[in-house]
Amino acid sequence: MPELVLRLLQGGLGNLAAYLAAHVLLCLVPAFYIAGAMTALIPKEPVTRLLGRSAPKWIAYPGAALAGSVLAVCSCTIVPLFAGIYKKGAGLGPAVTFLFFAPAGNILALVYTGGVIGLDLALARLFLSLTFGIGIGMIMALIFSRADLAHDKESDALFAGQGKMRGAALVFLLILVALLLAGTFKIGLLTDAYAQITLPLAGIDRFQDALFRLVPYDLSKGQEGVTAQGAILIGLLVFIGLASWQGLDKIHEGYNAWTWIAMSLVGLTLLTAALGMSPHAGGLDLQFTGRFFGVLLALGALTWLMFRRLSRDELRDWLWESWRFVKQIFPLLVGGVFAVGAIRVLIKPEWIQTLAGNNTILGNLAGVLFGVFMYFPTLVEVPIANMFLSLGMHRGPLLAYLMADPELSLQSILMISVIIGRLKAWVYVGWVALFSTLAGLIYGAWVDGTPLGLLAMYLAVLMAMLGFALWLVGRRNHQKMMAAESASTH
Amino acid sequence: MLTIKVLGPGCSNCKALERVAKQAVAALGIEAEIIKVEDFSEILRYEILATPALVINEKVVVSGRVPGVDQVTSLLADAVTQVA
Repeated sequence: MPELVLRLLQGGLGNLAAYLAAHVLLCLVPAFYIAGAMTALIPKEPVTRLLGRSAPKWIAYPGAALAGSVLAVCSCTIVPLFAGIYKKGAGLGPAVTFLFFAPAGNILALVYTGGVIGLDLALARLFLSLTFGIGIGMIMALIFSRADLAHDKESDALFAGQGKMRGAALVFLLILVALLLAGTFKIGLLTDAYAQITLPLAGIDRFQDALFRLVPYDLSKGQEGVTAQGAILIGLLVFIGLASWQGLDKIHEGYNAWTWIAMSLVGLTLLTAALGMSPHAGGLDLQFTGRFFGVLLALGALTWLMFRRLSRDELRDWLWESWRFVKQIFPLLVGGVFAVGAIRVLIKPEWIQTLAGNNTILGNLAGVLFGVFMYFPTLVEVPIANMFLSLGMHRGPLLAYLMADPELSLQSILMISVIIGRLKAWVYVGWVALFSTLAGLIYGAWVDGTPLGLLAMYLAVLMAMLGFALWLVGRRNHQKMMAAESASTH
Repeated sequence: MLTIKVLGPGCSNCKALERVAKQAVAALGIEAEIIKVEDFSEILRYEILATPALVINEKVVVSGRVPGVDQVTSLLADAVTQVA
C-alpha cells in the first residue's frame, strides 16, 4: 500500500515539475501579464460599439468574437458582458457567440495549449471555436427568433460610448506579446547559444542527479524530470508569490518596496528560464541563447514604457489585473497538475485507447461528455488533455474535450439560465456538445489525412447555409414588425 | 449621508472595490452607507458595461475597473460638496 502512495506522489511531483519547466514558464508567465494588459488597457467601448442594437449581422457576429478574444478572460467579466450584449445590445445571437468564444479563444488558454501540447492544437482550438462560436450564435438566434422580435426598445446609449486605446498602451501590449514570442518560438536564431560562461559551482551535477532520483521520470511518457534549472525556477516562483502577496494585493492603497521586488523577480525568472543550463562535474555552464537576449531586450523596453509612458492608473490596473489572474488560476493549476500526475499512475492506456483511440463519433462524444460533466478550474483542462494524449487518445477527441470543458460548468450554466432562461440555456448546452463533437471529428479527420481544403469547404457551406437562413428569418421578422406597426397606427 | 453602491456579482474585483470604498470613507471621515449589489437584474438597471462599478447617490462614477483609494476619496469629496 505505501508503495502505491509513493508512486502516486512521485507521479504528481513529476508532472508538476514538467509543468513548471522552463519552456512552460516562458509562455505562461507572459500570458498572465498579457491577459492583465488586455483587461486593464483595452477599452471596452470601441469594441462593444460593434455590438449595438442597430449593428448589421455581418458586423455583430465577428464583433462578438473579437470582443470575446480581447475583452474577457475570466467568467466574472464574461457573464456581465454577455448579459449586457443580450439585453441591451445586438441580441441573443451575438451574445451567445461572445459567450462561446471567450472561454475557448482567450489568450491564456491558447498560449498554454500551444506551449504544452502543440501549436497545431492551439490553432485548431482557435479556428474551430471561432467558426462554431459564430455558428452557435446564429443557430440560437434562428431557434429563438420570435423572442428577438419581441426585444423591447431600449436605448442604444450603452454601446455607443467613446474611448480609444492610447498609443503607449498598445505598444506596451505588443511588446508583451513580443516577449512571449521571444520566449517560446523555436527557431535557430533564438535557440542558438552566442556566449557561454561556467560558474564554478561544485556539486551542481550531484544536485541534479539527486533530483532525478527523487522524482523519477520516463521520457517515453513525455516526462522530463526536475533539472537543476527547474529547481531554481521553482524556488524563484515561490519568492515571486510571497513578494507579490505583499506588494500587489493591496496595490490600490499604494506601491511599496515589495511591488518592485516582485516585478524584478519575475524578470529574473524569465531570464533564468531563457538561459541554457548544463551542470557537469566542474560547475554549471550557462549558455546565453538568442532567447535570453530577446527576453532581455523585451524586458528593457517594457520597463522603460512602464516608467516613462504608462499613466499611474494604467500601470496599477495592469499589475492588479495580472495578479488577480495569477491568484485565481495558478494555485488551482498547480493542484490540478499534481492531481493529474498522480491519477495518471492509476489509469491504464488500454481504457483510453479503446474508448477514444480513434477518430470516431463515440470517441469524440466521450471527450465532450467528460468535459461537460467534470468541472476543472481554468487552464487545468490542458494538463488533463496532455495526460490523455500520452495515454493514447486520438487528437480529434482531444480537441472535442478541450472545446467542451471550458465552456460548461454547472455554475456557469446556472448563471446563464438566470440571464436567458432555462430553456435557452439547456438548448445552448446541447449545441455546444454537438459542435464540440463535430469540431473534434473535423480536426481528427485532418490529422488522419483528409485534405484541409475539403474540410474548409464543408465548414464554409455549413456557415453559408446558416447565414442565409438567418437572413431569411430576419427579413420575415422585419416584415412582421412593419405589418404590426402599420396595423397599430390605423 | 451618501449612499454608495458597489455593483458586482461577487468576484474578486468587486470585493476589492468594496474594500477601497470603505477605506476612502474612513479616510474622509464622512457618513456613508455602502451597499453591495450582487443581483444581476439589479446591476443591469445601471448603464454599465462591465463590473465592478461604483455608484454614488445613484450616479455611476466608475465602471469596469478598480480605482485607487485616492481617486475614490476625491470622488466622494466631490459628491459631498455637491450635496451640500
